[in-house]
Amino acid sequence: MTNDQYTRRRFLVASAAALSGLTLSSCGWTLAKVSGAPIKTTAADRKVLYIYTWAGYTDDDLLKRFNDETGIKVVADVFGSNEEMLAKIEAAGGGEYSIIYPSDYTVSKMVEKALLTELDHSLLIGLDNLFSRFRDPIADPGLRYSVPMAWGATGLIYNSQKLNIAPLDWDYLWAHKQDLSKRMTLLDDVREVLGATLKMLGYSYNSTDPQEIKQAYEKLTQLKPAIASFKTDAWQNEILSGDLLLAMCFSSDANKVIQEDKDNKLQFVVPHSGSSIWTDTLVIPKTARNVEGAYAWINFILQPDVAAQLCERLRFAPPNEVAYNQLPPEIRNSPSLFPPESILAKCESIAPLEQVAEVYDNYWTRLKSG
Amino acid sequence: MSTPTSHSSIPNPTPSDESLEPNLQVGKRRSWKKLLEPLALLAPGGIWLGLLLLLPTLLIFELSLVPNIRPGDVVNPSGLKNYLLVFQPIYLQVVWRSVYFAFGTTLVCLLLGFPVAYWIGQMAPQRWRNLLLLGFVLPLWTSSLLRSYAWITILRPTGVVNTILTSLKLPALDLLNQSAAVFIGMGYSYLPYMVLILYASIEKLDKRLLEASADLGAYPMQSFWKVTVPQTMPGIAAGSLLVFINTLGDFVDPELLGGASSMTISRLIYNQFLGATQNWGFGSSLSMVLILAVSIAIALLIKYGDRTPQR
Repeated sequence: MTNDQYTRRRFLVASAAALSGLTLSSCGWTLAKVSGAPIKTTAADRKVLYIYTWAGYTDDDLLKRFNDETGIKVVADVFGSNEEMLAKIEAAGGGEYSIIYPSDYTVSKMVEKALLTELDHSLLIGLDNLFSRFRDPIADPGLRYSVPMAWGATGLIYNSQKLNIAPLDWDYLWAHKQDLSKRMTLLDDVREVLGATLKMLGYSYNSTDPQEIKQAYEKLTQLKPAIASFKTDAWQNEILSGDLLLAMCFSSDANKVIQEDKDNKLQFVVPHSGSSIWTDTLVIPKTARNVEGAYAWINFILQPDVAAQLCERLRFAPPNEVAYNQLPPEIRNSPSLFPPESILAKCESIAPLEQVAEVYDNYWTRLKSG
Repeated sequence: MSTPTSHSSIPNPTPSDESLEPNLQVGKRRSWKKLLEPLALLAPGGIWLGLLLLLPTLLIFELSLVPNIRPGDVVNPSGLKNYLLVFQPIYLQVVWRSVYFAFGTTLVCLLLGFPVAYWIGQMAPQRWRNLLLLGFVLPLWTSSLLRSYAWITILRPTGVVNTILTSLKLPALDLLNQSAAVFIGMGYSYLPYMVLILYASIEKLDKRLLEASADLGAYPMQSFWKVTVPQTMPGIAAGSLLVFINTLGDFVDPELLGGASSMTISRLIYNQFLGATQNWGFGSSLSMVLILAVSIAIALLIKYGDRTPQR
């Protein structure tokens, strides 16, 4: 080797030095902030509508019908959790989406972070069709930023042929943990699992008291040996095959599985002492490239017959009263899709609890690690 | 790297028809070329690594110095508090589980992979070898998530394995939702890497030494431990480290197959970034610890994974 050649070491040292100079000089940069600069849109932008939604909330028929009515092509991407969606939206400066489907508590977070466009109600058609209890939610008073499109509750799906006594409330899990041993899954979600246990102990689903959260954690450690796994997905096949006897899940997922269940063994119940209730909404981010198309989409989803057909096909509950009344009686009377009002009254929406997020996370890591 | 003698493309000026001045120019051109050649070769890869590996790692390092940072906060490095958090018993337990899964999977891959690689590299007919290797790599063409879901179907109480066992009047096994399932799932996923690397090493095995060892009265087991293993040690080390590094960062199989106690370091990092906690600073410090652990493993590989077989 002659000395005028670049050794790997020297190359690395030089580039590392250059790069560290770059980062040091940029101290005080802001982590993933969406810029306030206005977005330039072109005519091409108005022909395509990018939406960011949950899996199972759209299907080809829906996108095709919208395309037929408006001439706008819809491209739908899906996310698995509100946090995942929010992190991506913030990290990518909003992305290309003109419609996003956050749940209620995430709407308030996004409003706080100034990510959303205030809706012009004069451009919306059919808000009056919504049930009155969805017209003024706590998360977004007066629907200034969001329009509800689906709602549901967390509960228990179970095999009614193998369980002699049907579960009615959360304490069933503890009382029957021998029978359920390694044959039940809970959601892989810190707030849902600890929240349900808090509710069973008589506290709020959204407790901020570290002592109460600790009690819930301790209660859960008693149940832990009987829990097969924490799963938000992937329990469906196992409960259909009879390997699982019970799973904690969202009503929207439960209804899809019940639809597939050929021998009618599966039932879904919202626990009587109350559970979490959520509303998924439509919002327009500030970075939307196709605002016109976004309003067209919201008005499209607000149409009663579109909402009713979606409910029939994809089995999620619409907040749309006119659509509800159009549904066939067997769907309208399904307790898994529309739980009784008396139980719904005891349910709570999950609230963002940033001050105690670390407490929850700590107990959750202990629970899933111990 | 090029050496001065390798510049055969440049016409070598002969002193008879060239004056001194052009000769100097050629010399200059040569030194420029010496400078530009490695730059041209290294620049694409260097820029790629710099922008997409080095820079993000440095950004993560900077983030890891900020306690309780969330998206939208100003990055203002202020200390090592996040690193102290990593060493709490509850998180050490998570790190320990990741190491346990990674180590167990490496062992499974080594025990299953060595006989296979030995058979392909030494005993299978030469013309079939490439095809056999291809067959081993084929599973890598499917999605790892799909493979994990398939293992759920195979291992669950009324799944494929237990259906076969009970039809043979054997007792059913409870395999799903515990460590065994993780070792099966991850072992399956990473076996091809192990076999490929071991094959490369076993193929070069000097058969004369084995013959000599047998001639001198060694039992087959003695020959294996004293001749085969030392010769293939570089391959064993390289394969094991590659599998270990990959499995240390995997969380799909532990999550889906490992049951209720399945938190791994990657899942913990995921929770800090995309979960409800959104503590990006702590997540970054966990990432740095993981990066450091993997770097140590790679340094060991470079040091001991020398490609020349030891004889």
